Amino acid sequence: MILYEFEGKELLSSYGINTPKGEVLRKAQTPRLKTPLILKAQTLSGKRAEAGSIKKVEKEEDFKTSLKTLLGKKINKEEVTTVLAEEIVDHDEEYYVSLSYDTASRGPVLTLAARGGTDVEKRESLSFPVSPLADTPPKIKAPAGFEKEDFETFTSEVFPKLLKLFFDEDLTLLEINPLVFDKDGKHFALDAKVKIDDSALARHPAWDFPPRSVAGHTPTKREVAAKKIDEGDHRGTAGSAYFDLEGDIAVLASGGGASLTAMDALIAAGGKPANYTEYSGNPPKEKVEKLTKIVLSKEGINGLWVVGAVDNFTDIYETLLGFIEALRKVEPKPKLPIVIRRGGPRDKEAFEMLRKVKDFDLHLYGEEISIAKSAEIMTKLAKKYATST
Amino acid sequence: MLLLPKNAKLIGQGITGGEGSTALPWMLGYGKRIVAGVTQGKGGQELEGVPIFNTVKEAVGAVGEVDGSVQFVPPIHTKRAVEEALEEGLKFVLIGAEKVPVRDSAYIYALAEKKGASVVGPASVGIVNPHRRLKIGSIGGGDPDRVFPPGNVAILSKSGGMTSELGLLLKHSGLGVSWAVGIGGERIIGSDFGDFLIELENDKDTKATLMFGELGGTYEDRVADLIKTKKIKKPVAAFIAGEFTMNLPSEVQFGHAGAIIEGERGLPSTKRRLLKESGALVAESLDEIPDLLKEVIK
Repeated sequence: MILYEFEGKELLSSYGINTPKGEVLRKAQTPRLKTPLILKAQTLSGKRAEAGSIKKVEKEEDFKTSLKTLLGKKINKEEVTTVLAEEIVDHDEEYYVSLSYDTASRGPVLTLAARGGTDVEKRESLSFPVSPLADTPPKIKAPAGFEKEDFETFTSEVFPKLLKLFFDEDLTLLEINPLVFDKDGKHFALDAKVKIDDSALARHPAWDFPPRSVAGHTPTKREVAAKKIDEGDHRGTAGSAYFDLEGDIAVLASGGGASLTAMDALIAAGGKPANYTEYSGNPPKEKVEKLTKIVLSKEGINGLWVVGAVDNFTDIYETLLGFIEALRKVEPKPKLPIVIRRGGPRDKEAFEMLRKVKDFDLHLYGEEISIAKSAEIMTKLAKKYATST
Repeated sequence: MLLLPKNAKLIGQGITGGEGSTALPWMLGYGKRIVAGVTQGKGGQELEGVPIFNTVKEAVGAVGEVDGSVQFVPPIHTKRAVEEALEEGLKFVLIGAEKVPVRDSAYIYALAEKKGASVVGPASVGIVNPHRRLKIGSIGGGDPDRVFPPGNVAILSKSGGMTSELGLLLKHSGLGVSWAVGIGGERIIGSDFGDFLIELENDKDTKATLMFGELGGTYEDRVADLIKTKKIKKPVAAFIAGEFTMNLPSEVQFGHAGAIIEGERGLPSTKRRLLKESGALVAESLDEIPDLLKEVIK
């Protein structure tokens, strides 16, 4: 999960990293802090300066007007509900600092660059692998442009705190851009991009960040509903990844890899998916039932594709039973063509059960038909249905 | 060593749990490789005729030296279970758990490197070799022969479901598998495509490899590097899934924990380009894979 800047900065301060004095504003109000101030709309997308999310307020009387240009506005397709007001820290150099996990070294890596700021991707940077086994920080050197004094403060004072924060809080990304030093040499994190590892939730009872969408996107009703299915129930997963798309073929896919393969195959066959979602890891039938209802709640769909690979341990009978139970509860009764392509444990019983279902337009396929072939069948049936209705 | 020997003996950590006890008869039915189980507090019991011990130390003490451990331990306890196995000198661990915290995965990888051990996973569906009648993990469910007939193509896949799907695809075209491996779709994995490919170079049963990759990370990119630098000479056919995600917001996780595009990293189009440039056979659709492979192994 990605954190908003103000949440990230709270974490940073609690580990001894200095951040500018700030105030979180959620409505038109007068701040306790004195101008000049910086107002920063709290959105998750990057490039916030370019998107117009950051305003400088010089005079007290301009504050409310500036705040109004941010609160309630949509920036990068995200609605702004929170604004962070901060004191200005005078500084010269700006540096980029991040800790993240790198798949090439298969471990944590520190990245440093001088002259950070908004265009950091274009700067030269240095990366250093960090051993998860070592007790002490690795030896690092300053990238070109990193002032000697600043670098000394960074290595002795800032870096050990960042490492502790990164590991102890199970972060997958800790990015400060920029890190600056004031005239007394005191460090400040002017921005914070922090991601926490959702897989580590079990050992962080204190985490209570409200649910949020991804950067640059406001979630649809269905996306919100799908995400709720897994909450508080760790048996398998259903709907944790759900996206509404523009097309007319509803997709109920199984398996991380198979769902991606199926989507690509459907598009290659000329079909237009109405959504992306998947269930996997042998979820109970109730989860599949809920996800089916969400997938079918979309208007204007001309087909439903229930697709997966030949599964290793997901109980095909149980999960398809959940699917049929949902189908029976949907009003009005779905008349659209439904193509099912599944295989795996208890698939014989599943297909026996499905063959007895006569009140829906089911097209049943097992492993004898490939995912790509069933995508073609689905596409044709959906086109036929669209022209007939 | 990732390619376990013909008569490999393994212990099963967490084998008495839900997934473990389902997979145990499946594994034993294919070939009797699991010689002991380990679950704290269940020592002295037996499951499917396999003796259960409280610790790895006790298990190894009773059954003698083993080739490794297959784990069915919950994700949050995986790190401790791997530590226990490696401390007892085991040189191979396969982790079945999904959603192991990234910090733990990175720690496990570093520890295995230090100890000279091989770790497969997290989120590995298992390994099967039909020639050696070796099956560990839930791969192929209760009937691996249905999808993995013996042959000379090795399957390496980030996705458990797609491992079986690819086996089936080969079977329908008259081909078969030497090894099928779920390497796991997590961000940090113990053994990637490249690690297996390097060992497969010396495997007599394998003539070519079929890999299933997807968006996220750089494990596919490494294969392109290894082919370019001639460290891998046997033919590699690759299928990369997730092209459709390029039109969706980035930094979204699709299914597997590692399936996420961050900035310019992990784009399926980049992986395909790099693999093509290196000389790998990149399939545009699953259905054309058998023909690509038949060309190179005839």
